[in-house]
Amino acid sequence: MSAIQLNIPNELDRFLPDIVKRNYGKWKERKFHGPGIIEHVSETGERVFTVKAALPPNARVSVDTLEKFADIADKLGVGALRITIAGNVEFITDSLEKALKIREELEKLGFPVGGWGGALWGINTCTAFLTCQIAVIDAPSIGKALGDALKPYFTGEEKLPAKLRVFISGCPSGCAGGTAIDIAIVGMWGAPPKIREEVLPLCMPPPKALAKIPESQVFLVQVCPTGALTLRREGEKIKLVLVGEKCINCGRCKDNCDAFDYDPKDVGAAILIGGKMANTGVGPRLARVLIPWIPANPPRYDEIIAVVKKVVDVWKKHGRPGERLADFVERIGWAKFVELVGAPKMAAQYLWWPDAARTYLTYRARGEVIFKGFRDAP
Amino acid sequence: MAAPPNLPPPDKLLEMAEQYLKELEKGPWPSHVAEIRKTGYPLHVYGVGLVARKSPWGPSAVKAKRLTGVLARIARDWVPKGGEEVHFRVFHTPGRFLPTSYLRGIIKVAREYGIGLVEVVGQTGAMVINVRSKEVGDAMIEALRQVGTDVGGSGDAIRELNTCVGPALCEFALYDTLKWFTEFRKDKKIHDAIAVPGFPYKFKIKFSGCPMDCGRANRADLGFIGTWKGAPEVDQELLRKKIEAGEVDPNDLVSKCAGGAISWDAEKKELKIDGSRCKKCMYCIRKAYPAIKPGKERRVAVVVGGGSKGRYGPKLGWFVGYLKPDEVQKGIELVFKVIEPWDKEAQAKVRVGDYILMTGLYQFIEKTGIQLEDTPKLVEKLPDNVPYRVLPEEERKKYAQFAEELRRAVGI
Repeated sequence: MSAIQLNIPNELDRFLPDIVKRNYGKWKERKFHGPGIIEHVSETGERVFTVKAALPPNARVSVDTLEKFADIADKLGVGALRITIAGNVEFITDSLEKALKIREELEKLGFPVGGWGGALWGINTCTAFLTCQIAVIDAPSIGKALGDALKPYFTGEEKLPAKLRVFISGCPSGCAGGTAIDIAIVGMWGAPPKIREEVLPLCMPPPKALAKIPESQVFLVQVCPTGALTLRREGEKIKLVLVGEKCINCGRCKDNCDAFDYDPKDVGAAILIGGKMANTGVGPRLARVLIPWIPANPPRYDEIIAVVKKVVDVWKKHGRPGERLADFVERIGWAKFVELVGAPKMAAQYLWWPDAARTYLTYRARGEVIFKGFRDAP
Repeated sequence: MAAPPNLPPPDKLLEMAEQYLKELEKGPWPSHVAEIRKTGYPLHVYGVGLVARKSPWGPSAVKAKRLTGVLARIARDWVPKGGEEVHFRVFHTPGRFLPTSYLRGIIKVAREYGIGLVEVVGQTGAMVINVRSKEVGDAMIEALRQVGTDVGGSGDAIRELNTCVGPALCEFALYDTLKWFTEFRKDKKIHDAIAVPGFPYKFKIKFSGCPMDCGRANRADLGFIGTWKGAPEVDQELLRKKIEAGEVDPNDLVSKCAGGAISWDAEKKELKIDGSRCKKCMYCIRKAYPAIKPGKERRVAVVVGGGSKGRYGPKLGWFVGYLKPDEVQKGIELVFKVIEPWDKEAQAKVRVGDYILMTGLYQFIEKTGIQLEDTPKLVEKLPDNVPYRVLPEEERKKYAQFAEELRRAVGI
C-alpha cells in the first residue's frame, strides 16, 4: 500500500479554545439557562456557556453565514465554535450576558436556539437530491418542512418528555445515521426497480468473460441479499431477471449500478419509530417500522408531517417525564402504541413477517443467543 | 436514470422548480434553499429534481491527485440547462471545535476555489466543501493543506473518525476520547488506510466517552465506548445534602434504575448500589452528579460490526471486550486485527457486521485473535440443543473424572 501524505488536523492544542484547555477533563456541574443555553462549571471555578442553534437541513451553510458566525464568535464568544453531529452549531462563551446576546444575534439571523433536555435536539438529513445520485426522495426538503412543524419543540415553547431526534434518509442506505433513532424517515422505492437494459452492460463483466463465469460470481447477482436478482442464460443470450416478490427494496443493486431505475409515482417514505443509541432505559436498539410506505409529496410533505406529529403527540400525552420514545414504546407495548397512533392495519403486515428474514430495514434473529451490546457484558 | 414520464416541457419545468424552491424558503426553520441561493450552486437542478421526484444527478469523475474524499456529479440529460457539482470531504478538527482563525481560512478557500457552500458536518463526520469546477481540484487541495487540513475519507477505506466532545466540554467522559481520536489519526497505518481504499467496504471508527454514546459508537464498525466496572461511586454526604435541597429524589433513582440495582435506606439515609446488577445506564449519575460518580475502575468497551448500510441492513455492534483508558496503542492494533480476516475473506460490499453474521461472532473472534479483558468465550458452542452426540474418549474421561470428584465431595 503506497502512502499518500495527508495533512490531517490532529493537534489538540491548536483547536481547543484556551478556556476549554484550562478546564479539560475538570468539569463537575451543568446548569440550563432556558432552552439552548447550557452552563458548565469546572473545578477551577471557571464557567463556560454554550449556546446551541439549529442549522438548515443537511447542515448546508453558505460562507457568508459562516463568516457571520465567526464574527459572533469573535465578538461575543471565545473565538471558537463547535459543530455537532446532529447538524447544530454551538457557540462557546464565558458569561451568561454574552450567551444571551449570542442567542439574540442568532435569532436575528434566523437560526433558532434550543435543543437540550426534553426537546427536539436536531433534525439530521442526508444530502439526497442536493448531491446524491441514488436518492429516492429528497431528505433536506422534508427536513425543512418537518423543522417548520416541530420548531416549538426545539425552542422549548412546547415541552417533550425527553430527548427527540429525527433522521431523514433519502434511501434505505440510511446515510443520515441509520435507524437507531427516535423517528427515522427513510425513502422507499415502493415497487421493485426496473432494469434499463441499455445501461446494464456497463455494470457487467464483458460478454466473453460473462459466458465463462458461474452466475453466483457475477457481482450484481451477489449484491442482492434475498436472491431476487438472477442471471438467466438462454443459449448465447444472457439476461438479468428480477423477481419482484423477493425484492425488499434495499437499494443495494442501485448503489452499485446505475441501470436500476424507479418510477416516481411509486416512491414514498417509510417511518420507523423507537430506536436509540444511549444506554439509558431499555438500552440501545434499532427502530421498528411503523409505516412501511407513505406518499412523499414535495415541497411540504403533509402526509409525513402528519404522522410524525401524531407520534410526537401520543408520546407527549402518555409518556412519563424523562422517558424516551423507545422506552415509552417498550413500556406500553408495540401493539398498544400502534393502536394509539391509529395505524394498526399498516403495522400488522410486519407482525406476520418472519422474524428471521430481513425486512427491508431491520435484520432480526429470533432468540439471539449471542449478547449484542456491551450493556449486559460481564 | 431515465427521464421520469410526463415531465413538463423545459420552460414550465424550470418555472415549477422555482415555485417549489420558493415554498421551501418560507417558514421559521432555517432553510437550506435560502442558504444555497447565496452561493454558486446550480439550484435549478435541485428544483427540477424536486418536481420530477427523482434525483437529478448522475455519476461523474474528477481529476485530482487523491484517491479518497473526492466526489463529482453531473446533472442528468433531462435536466434543462444542466449543471455539475464537485465536492470534497475535508477532515474535521478534534471534537469539531473550529477556532475562528481556522474557520476563516476554510471560508477563504471555499470562496476562492469553491462555490461558497460548505456542509459543516457531513454524515461521516467530515466537512464537505463544494468545488467550483473539476479543474481547480488540485489547487483547492493545496490551499486546504495550507490552512492545515486535507481531503480524504470516501470509498472502501477507513472513513473520517468520529468522536463525541469528550472531556473538552463534558463531565461524564470516562476516557479521553479526543486524545484517542488524535492518536488514531497520527498513526501511520491508519493514516494510509484512510488515504488508499483497499477493503471490501467502508470501515468506520467512532469514540464515545460514556454509555450515553453521543458519538454513536455502537453503530460503528469499530466503536470505543467509555464505561466502568462494578457499581457507581456514591458520596453519601453530598447526596444527603442534594436530597435535602430537593435536587434529587431517591425514590425516583430507585424506580428508574434500569437494572434494579439501587436501594434506598430511608432510616440511615444511605443509597446502596449493587454493582453486579448495574447496567451502566447512567440514570443515577446524570441525576445526582457529582454525588454519584462512575466507578473508579474505568474501561473502554469495544464494540464491533455496527452500521446501517450493508447486506443485512442496520445493526448495532457486538461487544468484544474491554480496554483500559490508556491503552490507545492496543486500540490501534485492534483496528487491523478486526480488518484482517474481513479483508481476506469477505466479498465486495459486505461490511464487518455482515461478515460477523455470516461467520458467527465467536468464530470471528477466533479468526481475528482478539484477546481482551472479558472477551466473550465459546459458551454458545455448547451443544445444549442437541440431545445426543458421540463423545471422543478424552471428553468421556473428563466426565468420569468429574463424577469421581463429585462423589468424593459428596462423600459417597
